Amino acid sequence: MSYLALIIEDDEDLASIFAEALRGVGFEVEIIADGQAAQERLKNGVAPFLILLDMHLPHVSGADLLTNIIKREDRFAKTIIIITTADARMGEAYTEEVDFVMIKPISFVQLRDLTSRLKPKR
Amino acid sequence: MNSLNRFLTISTTDPDDTRRRRILNFLVVSIAALSLLAIVISLVSVYLKAISWENVALIVIGSLITILGMLLVYSINALFSGRIAAIIFLVFLTIVFAFSDTPEQVAGGRSLFGFAIPIIMASILLVPWSSFVFSSISGIIVSVIALSINSVPNSPAIIGFFVIALVSWLSSRSLEQALKELRTINANLDQVVVERTKALAESLERERIEAGRSQAILNSIADGVVVFDTNWNAILANPALMGMLDLPLELIVNKNFRDLIEHPNLSPKSRTLLHAMMEYDTQPPSFRIEWDKKTLSISAAQVYDYTKARFANIGTVTVFRDFTREAEVEKLKSTFVAIVSHELRTPLNAILGYAEMFKEAVYGPMNDKQVNMAERIMKNTQRLLGLINDLLDQAQMEAGKLTIQMAPVRPAELLENLHSIMDQIAHDKNLKLTSEIDDNLPEVLNGDGARLHQILLNLVNNGIKFTEHGTVHVRLFCPYENKWGIQVSDTGSGIPESELPYIFDTFRQVEGTATRVHGGFGLGLSIVKQLVNLMNGDINVKSKADVGSIFTVTLPLVIPEKSTEKWSIG
Repeated sequence: MSYLALIIEDDEDLASIFAEALRGVGFEVEIIADGQAAQERLKNGVAPFLILLDMHLPHVSGADLLTNIIKREDRFAKTIIIITTADARMGEAYTEEVDFVMIKPISFVQLRDLTSRLKPKR
Repeated sequence: MNSLNRFLTISTTDPDDTRRRRILNFLVVSIAALSLLAIVISLVSVYLKAISWENVALIVIGSLITILGMLLVYSINALFSGRIAAIIFLVFLTIVFAFSDTPEQVAGGRSLFGFAIPIIMASILLVPWSSFVFSSISGIIVSVIALSINSVPNSPAIIGFFVIALVSWLSSRSLEQALKELRTINANLDQVVVERTKALAESLERERIEAGRSQAILNSIADGVVVFDTNWNAILANPALMGMLDLPLELIVNKNFRDLIEHPNLSPKSRTLLHAMMEYDTQPPSFRIEWDKKTLSISAAQVYDYTKARFANIGTVTVFRDFTREAEVEKLKSTFVAIVSHELRTPLNAILGYAEMFKEAVYGPMNDKQVNMAERIMKNTQRLLGLINDLLDQAQMEAGKLTIQMAPVRPAELLENLHSIMDQIAHDKNLKLTSEIDDNLPEVLNGDGARLHQILLNLVNNGIKFTEHGTVHVRLFCPYENKWGIQVSDTGSGIPESELPYIFDTFRQVEGTATRVHGGFGLGLSIVKQLVNLMNGDINVKSKADVGSIFTVTLPLVIPEKSTEKWSIG
């Protein structure tokens, strides 16, 4: 069984670093760089095991995606939500809403270790 | 009546002389008129055959001589000298009285009283003491007449003349003195009136100049100024305000401010602000309003009349400043700050991530030198991120955008976070970073965790930066009730006393040149100071050269309600 991690991040480099960390742990990775595209994907596609969501996105913000789709639809009830933001204050506001809040700059090692713990061992 | 008055009056510079000459004229005219009357009556009497022609001729001749004499006296009085005229007049009178009756009657009988007339008149027409001269003359005349008819001079009459002279001397003298005093009083009064008038004119002129100057100053102020009375009626406004609001003067001055703020150019939010200004006018506010497309900043201040005993509030002066440009710049600045914070940090985050991937040998084994290089890239990137954060914080604080958000904070956690970041940095410099928490400090207190962390980080960073060997020690403590504190001490080079007042200034490092030795913007302590101020706290520093420095932050201690409850139960 493969575990799907959905990375919603508009910065190409960060997305590739996050992807590398998650792949290193054994996740299957799907990257979406745009809020609008992410909205379509979340509405129609398969519910991933984990979503790494940037709060600052073009077109549709991460905050909107979180409150309007992810938190509302039952499909995501079991999905682990990690949000990333550079704004520590904004991050604090979401600690109750999501599973993890990571403040940028996000350490490669930190992300790798965290997701490694989250992924069930066989 | 007026022409008679003019006929009688001879104006001279001496008011006494004028008065005497006027009286003399009056007498002269009266006597001339009486003489004329005597001629008329005697002619009528002759016609009625009451008296004989001889007597009439005597009366007429006498009267004509008298009229001629009076004309002479009048002329002298009017053209030459009042004094000489008076003497001639009095001598003439005396002579007339001396020959007006039989010598027996003149010396001691019915005509004796006639001499009293020139004696009394002398004191009035000449100087007061001249009555004595005429009483002497009259006395001599009476005595000579008496002797000429072989009679004894009438000594009681002569003494009587002197008594009359004495009385008229006294009364004339006191009259003249009274007049003199009156004139002095008048003169003083005139002087006072002149002085007062002059002073009044001067003060009016001063006031006019002052008012003109004030108006000129008011007119040339670039800011809009409007003055309201206590009922918010505009009593004064300058041209700059009219330009700013683009309204004619009639719509501002003498209007109530409540009417003006209903103007459609004003945004609803601004209207609310202005209403608030009028209602809570005890505290002069300063705020911004939107008028048409302009942003105006308003400062209002109460006007007090300090001449009144109780400093009466007489209204409000309101200054409008066109803030449109500044508001645009501020908006640009905050947009800039937002863009910078995102665009500068994002690539740095990527550099950091890639360097970490190198270090973690994600794409295959790395040798020690490569790992070391990756670590250096990470360290420098982190430093750059730190500097950017400092600059952004500074920019936000300058824009007044940085706010403090209070939430329960655990002091122990603050120290844990501090150690997790700074231990390595201290270790790299062979320094020790130690910390302690006083027992009396509550486990949980209210504070802005992120900002407290920043304060600790900056102070410790500063300590490490300026310490070459020894320890940087952090202590969290409770100095007294309602306060808690952060103390960071180091064993560094210390701060020269002359620099102590400036160390919290923006972009400042001790001695200027130190900037080059130690790197950094010199923003760390300035940010700490500003954050502490935002938290209503204090910061001070004690330092001794080559011994070290101690930074002490004191903050208000507020314990979160939940834990208070827990304590009260426990």
